[in-house]
Amino acid sequence: MTPVLAFEHIVRAFQKGVPVLNGVTFSVAPGEVVGLLGRNGAGKTTLIRIAMGMLFPHAGAVRVFGLSPTEDPVAVKLRIGYVAEEQVLPAGSSIAELIALHRRLFPNWDQALERALLGRFRLAVHAKVRQLSKGEARQVALLCAVCHRPELLILDEPAGGLDPAARREFLETSIQLLNREGTAILFSSHYMNDVERLGGRVVLLDEGKVRLDRELDTLHEDHCVALIPRAAVPDAAALEHLPGCLRARPVFDDWHAVFEGTPDTVRCQLEEAFSLNGICCVRVPLEELFVELVGSNRLAEAEP
Amino acid sequence: MLINPADELPIYRQIMRQITEAIAGGRLKSGDRLASHRELSERLVIAPLTVKKAYDELETLGFIETQRGRGTFVSARLPRVDRAGQLAQMREAARKLLAQAYLAGLGFPEVVKLLKEAGRDLAEGPRAREKERV
Repeated sequence: MTPVLAFEHIVRAFQKGVPVLNGVTFSVAPGEVVGLLGRNGAGKTTLIRIAMGMLFPHAGAVRVFGLSPTEDPVAVKLRIGYVAEEQVLPAGSSIAELIALHRRLFPNWDQALERALLGRFRLAVHAKVRQLSKGEARQVALLCAVCHRPELLILDEPAGGLDPAARREFLETSIQLLNREGTAILFSSHYMNDVERLGGRVVLLDEGKVRLDRELDTLHEDHCVALIPRAAVPDAAALEHLPGCLRARPVFDDWHAVFEGTPDTVRCQLEEAFSLNGICCVRVPLEELFVELVGSNRLAEAEP
Repeated sequence: MLINPADELPIYRQIMRQITEAIAGGRLKSGDRLASHRELSERLVIAPLTVKKAYDELETLGFIETQRGRGTFVSARLPRVDRAGQLAQMREAARKLLAQAYLAGLGFPEVVKLLKEAGRDLAEGPRAREKERV
């Protein structure tokens, strides 16, 4: 099956010699949900803008439904829905005008879905964009992004700046779309709970590359964090050379190392490698795993 | 049913655990109908595939069965697993529990009281005790 979205060795820099993306490769299958994670500045938005044809990659290729978003922009945009964190809707337009515009642009606009969403969001169609709250504006943007029944929905920080109730409502709508339309979704988010709820796969960007690309459930069940006394191991590289080690960093008196594998097998592996006893290996929630994978070293002040 | 996305246990396992606990506590009986994938996914605000995964695993284990076009039900014949093995595991768990209780300075009657409470939680569901606390 052709992936709905494929990134192949994408490179992009905004400053010469400082690539934000430095060889990013992954794809999204039809109906799949992929959460795009990474620290601020990791290149999530840049990657999304490349998929939307709003930016050229400096090297590599992007394919949406097998097409190039810059060479076939119309064919691609007819089948894609997009909501950006800082969605700019024209302040002077009313909701009704915005919807009418989208209805004209998309031949397969679904009026029943439009009515259903307007009802659920309790939006007054004659309200002007400038009168809307942040949450309402995001709901309008979502409505405009999904009523043509896209095969791929791209959400860039959809929940950014929303209160918890508005975030949950946004998520409810996304889940209903998943249920009813089987839409593939690529979304970036800093809310690990939302990532857990939408499920599927996570792709973690770090230092211009894909640091991790896994099914969420695999990540939970087959990964753990090991705490090893600092004195027992000379440096992070000694840990990172071990099979299954994804990253090691010093945290005060311990090394924190993320490993692939169950806590029991990793503990045995480590105890054998360093002739140690009583190493602590634990499964951790996604938020902790994220911090362990991309967080910085934590040293006591006296250390260099 | 309640799920916690911040738990280290994946959501599909949380669903599995709550359904098996409800069966163990008698809140779900053979032949009872479960919510559909879609209903449960929208009710809990989680991906439909996560619900499907939980149901698929429970079906493989024999706790539930899907009847085409009718829905998903608690199995008429619930699985009986290796009793001797289970019993050995329970004995081990009991030893661990008593050792922990000893370290926490709890006596045997207090452990029994805790077990009774846990039994009631199983029968009434996790919400019952939440209410009690309020």
